[in-house]
Amino acid sequence: MITLTSYLFISLVLFLVGVMVMLARKNIVAILLGIELILNAAALNFVAYSRFVTNNLDGHIFALFIILVAAAEAAVGLAIVIRFFQIKETIHIDEATQLRN
Amino acid sequence: MLEQLLISASFYIPELLSILLMCFLLMAEASHSMENEHGSRDKIYGLGIIGLLVILGACIFNFTKAPTAVFYNAVIIDPFSTLVKIIMVLGTLGSVYLSRSSKDIYTNLKSEFMIMSVGVLIGGMLLASANNMLTLYLGIETLSILSYVMTSLKRDDATSAEAGIKYALYGGLTAGVMLFGMSHIYGQLGTIQFAEMVTKLSALEGQSFVVLMISFLMFFTGIGYKISCFPFHMWSPDVYQGAPIPVTSFFSIVPKMAGIAVLIRVSMIFFGTGSAIAVTWIGLLHVIAAMTMTVGNVTAIGQSSVKRLLAFSSIGHVGVMMLGVVVLNEVGVQAILFYGIVYMFMTLAAFYITSHLSDMYGTDTQDVFKGLIYKHPLMAIVMVGVLFSLAGVPPFSGFVAKFNIFSVIIEKKYYGLAIIAALNSVISLYYYMRLAKTIIFGEADSEEKVPGFTGLNQTIIFVMFVPVLVLGVFWESIMNISGYAKIFIR
Repeated sequence: MITLTSYLFISLVLFLVGVMVMLARKNIVAILLGIELILNAAALNFVAYSRFVTNNLDGHIFALFIILVAAAEAAVGLAIVIRFFQIKETIHIDEATQLRN
Repeated sequence: MLEQLLISASFYIPELLSILLMCFLLMAEASHSMENEHGSRDKIYGLGIIGLLVILGACIFNFTKAPTAVFYNAVIIDPFSTLVKIIMVLGTLGSVYLSRSSKDIYTNLKSEFMIMSVGVLIGGMLLASANNMLTLYLGIETLSILSYVMTSLKRDDATSAEAGIKYALYGGLTAGVMLFGMSHIYGQLGTIQFAEMVTKLSALEGQSFVVLMISFLMFFTGIGYKISCFPFHMWSPDVYQGAPIPVTSFFSIVPKMAGIAVLIRVSMIFFGTGSAIAVTWIGLLHVIAAMTMTVGNVTAIGQSSVKRLLAFSSIGHVGVMMLGVVVLNEVGVQAILFYGIVYMFMTLAAFYITSHLSDMYGTDTQDVFKGLIYKHPLMAIVMVGVLFSLAGVPPFSGFVAKFNIFSVIIEKKYYGLAIIAALNSVISLYYYMRLAKTIIFGEADSEEKVPGFTGLNQTIIFVMFVPVLVLGVFWESIMNISGYAKIFIR
């Protein structure tokens, strides 16, 4: 039997994995993947709450919008990464240290 | 249903006009000709500036309308949000005109800045009148995603791309954290409408109360990131330094005003009553406002680049504006709006002068300001006046703005905060006055005048300086206007 708790647990795990990826990985594309994990954790939460607790459509709508925004964010993020790669010829986050006072 | 949508749309004219303007600009960009580059750029700029003026007119027209909730309560149009929109449109107009002359952007670009800034403006408008969590989230993301692009507008510059990456990554993380908080708030309260959430909030207790407390903290992350308050301010110096100057001036006005507006609205709606969560939130805002002011002002002391100095001082100003949020009443909102109007004029004028000098001499360190009074008296007088006003010295409007904020917090008997704010004023006075001293008493390298500052530009900085000066003496009418701009809760 799949209950609300299972969904919440999975989404918490997704969220934590996303944060870990963002902190631990040095590849900018991998960090962008971490952001996607966090956003999807939130979307899963919304849908699960909508199904088990609130019984209205707000959560579903919210999840749809999250998918939409995540796509836009990934597109812009990747575009900037490409620009960075063309200038620096690397996508290692440790190379992004010029702006430090 | 269609009828209701049309009625809603009739209140939503400024936003709809902005969206139309963005589409028109994109189409105009397609007709850009490489042979006659100046001519087609002028055409696009004319279109954009006329469009923004029309939007400004629509906002002013909306200002006196009775407050309404439109689009099934998703969006609220009240004088408060309309006044914030007016400030944002004016800020956009100023930055757009600045970008026209700035060499920092337009060496190899067409009119990307205009299109993006109108887009950010749309996001800011959504945010200023958000009445449920979905609108708030969409507003924040529209604002952020376009901001990432604007940051990396300097195409061949490594620092600009790096600033864009940092902004995008931090921004994505905070947006995700905010969303995760929102999802739990939704789960506990069962709705995404602010007004319905408030009624459910008072009935809660026990376990879900703890969950909500943590969720609200996560929720604050997203807003705090947009207004770059402590401890989410780490990105802003880097972004402000890497971004071109018109973008920096834009960022220190439009997204900040939108963020402050949504912070005020959320605080007023949820925490106007004295529940336990409200006490925690207010306590949090106390600490954050004090820390934001201190961090911004203390770090600004050591900056040699004027752009970075203005960026740090804008963090300090956000801290002062947050003081007005802490009191959670209409007088506080009035004080913040007045501060916002004055702050916009001061920032624009300061960035205009910095941008021009940085274009002329290729750098924006304090050295280029040395002996400016001999090189270009008008520029120097305006800059010194603006610096005095930013520091909050009397006859200038910055003093009235700061005085209002101080008087509302003292009225609420938050003496500790008032003392910290006063100490911060002293610190900010130090670094502003040091720059003013450089302008007046510094020895210029050469006697030659600052070239290329045309009559139109002189008129514009003068026009921006007039409110800074006049509002310091005749502040009543603007105070009345911002007092009229009340928040409508539904």
